[in-house]
Amino acid sequence: MNVTTPRHSVGRERLRLFLRNPMGMFGFILVSLFFIAAIFAPMLATHDPLALDIPNRLSGPTLEHWAGTDQLGRDTFSRVLYGGRVALQVAAIGVSISLILGLGLGMLAGYGPRWLDNILLLLFDSIRSFPTIVLALAAVALLGPSLHLVLVIVIVTSIPSYARLARTSTMALKNTDFVLAEKSLGAGTVRTLIRHIMPNVIGPLLILAAMDVPVVVTIEAGLSFLGLGVQPPMASWGTVLNEGYLIIRLTPWPIVAGGIPLVLTTLGFTFLGEALRDIFDPRLRKGR
Amino acid sequence: MESLLSIRGLNVEFQTPSGPLHVLRDINIDVPRGKILGIVGESGSGKSTVIWAINRLLASNGAVNGGTATFDGQDLLALNDRQMLSVRGEQISMVFQDPMTSQIPVLTYDRQMSDIQYRRKELSMKDKRERAIRIMHKVGIPDPEDRILQYPHHFSGGMRQRAGIAMALLMDPLLLIADEPTTALDVTLEAQIIHLIQELRAEFEATIMVVSHNLGLIAELCDQVVVMYAGEVVEYGSVSNLFYEPAHPYTQALLNCDPARTQTKTRYLPVIPGDVPDLHVLPTGCIFAARCSQVMEQCKTTSPAKVQLDESQHVASCHLLDPGLQASGNAPKNVSPQGDALGEARPKPSVESGELLKVEDLCVRFQINSWIRSKIQKRPRFVEAVIDASLSLRQGETLGLVGESGSGKTTLGRAILGLVQAESGSVIFDGQELRTLSRTGFSQLRRNMAMMFQDPVGSLSPRQTVGSLITEPFQIHRINADLDEEAARLCEMVRMPQDFLSRYPHELSGGQARRVGVARALALNPQIIIADEPTAGLDVSVQGEILNLMNELQETHGLSYLIISHNLPVIRHVSDRLAIMYLGRLVEFGDSDEIFSQPAHPYTQALVNGVPQPDPNKRRSLVSIEGEVPSLANRPAGCEFHTRCKYATADCRNTRPRLSQIRVNGLDREVACHYPLAGESVEQERR
Repeated sequence: MNVTTPRHSVGRERLRLFLRNPMGMFGFILVSLFFIAAIFAPMLATHDPLALDIPNRLSGPTLEHWAGTDQLGRDTFSRVLYGGRVALQVAAIGVSISLILGLGLGMLAGYGPRWLDNILLLLFDSIRSFPTIVLALAAVALLGPSLHLVLVIVIVTSIPSYARLARTSTMALKNTDFVLAEKSLGAGTVRTLIRHIMPNVIGPLLILAAMDVPVVVTIEAGLSFLGLGVQPPMASWGTVLNEGYLIIRLTPWPIVAGGIPLVLTTLGFTFLGEALRDIFDPRLRKGR
Repeated sequence: MESLLSIRGLNVEFQTPSGPLHVLRDINIDVPRGKILGIVGESGSGKSTVIWAINRLLASNGAVNGGTATFDGQDLLALNDRQMLSVRGEQISMVFQDPMTSQIPVLTYDRQMSDIQYRRKELSMKDKRERAIRIMHKVGIPDPEDRILQYPHHFSGGMRQRAGIAMALLMDPLLLIADEPTTALDVTLEAQIIHLIQELRAEFEATIMVVSHNLGLIAELCDQVVVMYAGEVVEYGSVSNLFYEPAHPYTQALLNCDPARTQTKTRYLPVIPGDVPDLHVLPTGCIFAARCSQVMEQCKTTSPAKVQLDESQHVASCHLLDPGLQASGNAPKNVSPQGDALGEARPKPSVESGELLKVEDLCVRFQINSWIRSKIQKRPRFVEAVIDASLSLRQGETLGLVGESGSGKTTLGRAILGLVQAESGSVIFDGQELRTLSRTGFSQLRRNMAMMFQDPVGSLSPRQTVGSLITEPFQIHRINADLDEEAARLCEMVRMPQDFLSRYPHELSGGQARRVGVARALALNPQIIIADEPTAGLDVSVQGEILNLMNELQETHGLSYLIISHNLPVIRHVSDRLAIMYLGRLVEFGDSDEIFSQPAHPYTQALVNGVPQPDPNKRRSLVSIEGEVPSLANRPAGCEFHTRCKYATADCRNTRPRLSQIRVNGLDREVACHYPLAGESVEQERR
């Protein structure tokens, strides 16, 4: 049998599609900037984010303080950079843990017995029926504000959406011929789930994760803004905004400097997520 | 003869990421008025693309690059979109392959059929409904007044396809196009639909185009036939021209491959070597040259001209038919391919060779209603998918398991392997009862029994490479082996090039994927392979390759096969013994050749006679069986076949016949019928 079937690499085709998508590229650049800024914050920062410079307090942008200073004379630019670290930390840890737990629980619900599915679904739905902020308020009221609590809240509230997605795909795959074929070879449940179902389920979940990052960043910023998350003097976009809000009549710069990265990060991840979704799910792609 | 549709020089290209694909090249087809034209070809031949191109419904990356399609005086390819709307559905209508997906599931037939008549503003809703009822009656749908108010899911498969035909005929089209109209149906229904189309042609004086890969259907139904290969028309002629004097080597090879045409059982089936060419590069010379058994030098360089073979319209494009070549005496002596060394039929395993697998009174049932619901609403809680199935498989034997869809044959196959929980009965393999076996014991057993699934590509895990797929059995059973070596060995065994090991299932063709399936099944040297429709979805030539491979492996490894199929010609070719199932019960079990030559159960008779023969002189005048398989939830009392049996008596309606032994021509056979061989004697009397 001589073979003439052409081989075109799926990966290369996807990369080509991605490079041709301007929104996706824009998102990718913004996201990269976010990562660079957060990871290299100690090198990029011009000042210690906690260092006070009382003589220059409430200044606008100067050569010394690129984005001005707050009421204590702390350098807003450096504080925002360090705030990005907090955002990245929460986003990376929160999203990846909820992705992994959501994937696992979702596959269990989809593949396991009916009663397990019912219990898990009930759990997911009850969590989802709580507004995140109310849940957060309740948790903070009980346990006191902290960064760790923010993380736990983020994880608990976003697991259901991953799990639901994983569950639906798993159920669709459960009765396909290839899963049956694995069973007929003697493959056990764990093997079938991890080697054969997971690779087919994970794609949409990764896209959901990319689109979930801005949500998580906003939750962190929102809770910190309300004083329920990161506690002063530690810098976070939420605390920068909160402090700026208190002194908005004196200087607008903390609000501007804290708000812009939040908006850009949200935009960046949203564009990136949408571009990825278009590439991996050809059904949503517009006709060429 | 006047043509209703005349396609001239049609070229179609598809834009793909790897460059333009030349799907149709210089297609010329004439559809004579009032006749049935068949287009036959393997997958990838472009036969469906012709249909989409003239309907102007090509996918968005496809484009017509020149050519005309003159239909009733106007060029379809030059019409604007508005004008085209009044042609589609109005003058040209279509019957699709799968009525389940081509009808709107959320609208009643009444709504769907009055929607089709939206252009007839002068008709009131009542008139429209009356017209629809009239047509439904004509296509043989009983009680059309009531059934028109139902939804597609209320209809059975055959009725749904009838409704599809009714919808196509509703606007009195000049041209009816049927794209694989019976491919989704069982043999017995296929025969009914073929008959229906013939009757309707006479009644509506319609011109019909049928696209199919099924040579039997084409021979039984068509007047004129077009043979397509890789985007070109290679031969055109009347049905008798093509089936009795095929001129093009491809047509000859295609006909040779069909197991339904070989009456004698040979060891191997003829195949067409090689693959369909890659249409990204335009071929120089004859498109079939690479696979042709009689290829000459000029075939590779110059493309053959069309040769008119006699005063009729029999035309073929082949250098062998070139008058110059014929005159010079250089032509190969006979145009038809030499009788390949196909070998004698494999000797049957002797009766003494031990029974490897024994299934006794196996029952499988599925829950359809919950316990509470069945108590409250008095609905049945279970349907019985398999009842009291008993069969045996000997060492080195091939057992065919045949039945229409819904007969429980796949369920029985899966229940033997323990993939479906059986309710009662026993499965004994090599002296061990499987149903009571512990988990570890069962896992051991998996190494001795393997399964091949119906969908060759769908039964391969999509994100795994071929290499990891075929070595997976070793990993599952934790066998210490050099996986690369094993992969190479298995590749060799199923004759697959080594570089396939790094491919993914979606990069494989059906035949290649099937080879991977065979390799996986054979990885651990099993003794039994249960093959569920091993050739479904494969082209005839590839089907031959797979069956030959399975046959060869059977001989070298002493395998026993249980082959589940509804394809009777294939089953007849491969099986030593045969089991026929109807509504979950075995109705006949015995020697395959004997059953085919003298079927005892009326259902077996119907199945055997239901296969359309790829021979235009063997057209049937009678439909062998009426009606459809009853629902499992609603079994008829007495003999379950009595509702469709023409020999049924009061006895059949009341008492169910047991599977009992009878002796036909000195051989034992098991039949569940009160009047075995009833049809046979009637048949003989009639002759």
